[in-house]
Amino acid sequence: MKQFVLGALIAVGAVAHAQLPVPALYDEWRRVTLDGVVTRVAWANPRAYVFVDVREPGGPVSNWAIEIGNPLDLEQRGWLRTTVRAGDSVSVEAVPARDNAKRALLSTFWKTSPRARVFSGSAATAKAAPTAAGPAPRWPDGQVRLGPPAGRKGYWGAASLTTMIESASKISVRADGLLANLSDADRVAPFQPWARAVYLHRQRTLLRDDPAARCLPTGGPRQFHTPNGFQFVEQRDLGRILVLFGGANRNWRIIYTDGRPLGQAAEAVPSYYGSSVGRWEKDALVVESVGYNERFWMTNGGLPHTEALRLVERFSRPDLNTLRYEVTVDDPRTYTRPWRSEWTVRWVPDREIEEFFCEENVESTFIR
Amino acid sequence: MRTRTFVLAAAFVVFTASTRAQEGHPLTGTWAGDWGPAGAQRTHITMVMNWDGKAVTGVINPGPDAISLTAVSVDWGTWTVRIDAKGVAAEGRMEDIGSSHRRIVGTWSQGGAKGDFTLTRD
Repeated sequence: MKQFVLGALIAVGAVAHAQLPVPALYDEWRRVTLDGVVTRVAWANPRAYVFVDVREPGGPVSNWAIEIGNPLDLEQRGWLRTTVRAGDSVSVEAVPARDNAKRALLSTFWKTSPRARVFSGSAATAKAAPTAAGPAPRWPDGQVRLGPPAGRKGYWGAASLTTMIESASKISVRADGLLANLSDADRVAPFQPWARAVYLHRQRTLLRDDPAARCLPTGGPRQFHTPNGFQFVEQRDLGRILVLFGGANRNWRIIYTDGRPLGQAAEAVPSYYGSSVGRWEKDALVVESVGYNERFWMTNGGLPHTEALRLVERFSRPDLNTLRYEVTVDDPRTYTRPWRSEWTVRWVPDREIEEFFCEENVESTFIR
Repeated sequence: MRTRTFVLAAAFVVFTASTRAQEGHPLTGTWAGDWGPAGAQRTHITMVMNWDGKAVTGVINPGPDAISLTAVSVDWGTWTVRIDAKGVAAEGRMEDIGSSHRRIVGTWSQGGAKGDFTLTRD
């Protein structure tokens, strides 16, 4: 086994797919090269693993768990469940775990007999197939459709930003929400002192306490930059829009468009997705939400909130392939003033969201 | 067998985390513990605290003998918590901050007596 210091950060995209805060597990400053024999392939969500027996130089054989990425992303990159099998001789370049456990994040994967490169890079960096351009689809009455065009399939996939920072801020932040420089924290959001301290604590501890790492729901704006996408089901006759999430714990949310007031008594119990009412303002769906509990982080990176959180979200679709998401965060118990963030989400045409459950990976996440 | 035990343990952790998680203001919630001058002489404490956006309010031992908190402050650089109530002054450091079962450990003064205290968030 060869081990050497890289001296540079691995690409941000290498961790973009993870449900867990990968930097909490892996040391991005190091690489290991592992030569050995595959003993098992754990093809499960959110992360698949290949287990490899590696003989230490002059020592015993160790069984390494190589995290290879999300199965859905892998399949898009051409790595199928049967691509690698137990008994294959392989050579793996990977990012090792921080705690020196026999665990690593895949970088390059080779079969060695015969020698053939199976994979290079990250499952999450799969480039989206080119999609046909076109105007935003509309209902017969002219209203913009947030779902697929009539008679077609599709869903909303990768977000242009996978963490949340105040719109005007230009700071370096990783896909998982870790700041490149902690001194930029004050530019992320207008924190109250306690919230700044909590945010910095989460950053300094590499997001290890993230509730999403325990498969708890990713409420608030985080639901729109969680891997595996989401889709809108517009039930116009019922006066509601369902938002179905493909990632995290595969949950759903209801936006009522029937004119009801915000925050009904029956919905008073604070929840992960809050209570939402929406209205159309020309071609934009404007959604106001209250009633959030305090059991989740509302974005990658660990921004805190309280039950006083009120969100105003604005969804617009300037063309077929683009969803623009703008959100105003108003939580006077956490932030000194309302603030906003925005990003876009890319349309995935002619496909359905595939089955994905965070909970499914208990075996490969926690057990060797 | 070992695997099954681990799965059950992991499931329990997830379950308890999901029922108790609290990611908002670190002091908000119900805390339980005790104080006293020595290991054998402990007095139980239940403390309820809430952050209203400007101040932390709350009570010690809710019920007929409740004592309202008069002031709660935190040095966010050191995570040192100062709690004042009628006849009570306590100062401690918050530990295990990221856990929903975070703790405050420090010194407690009440009615002329002094001792140590530990409070754990329920």
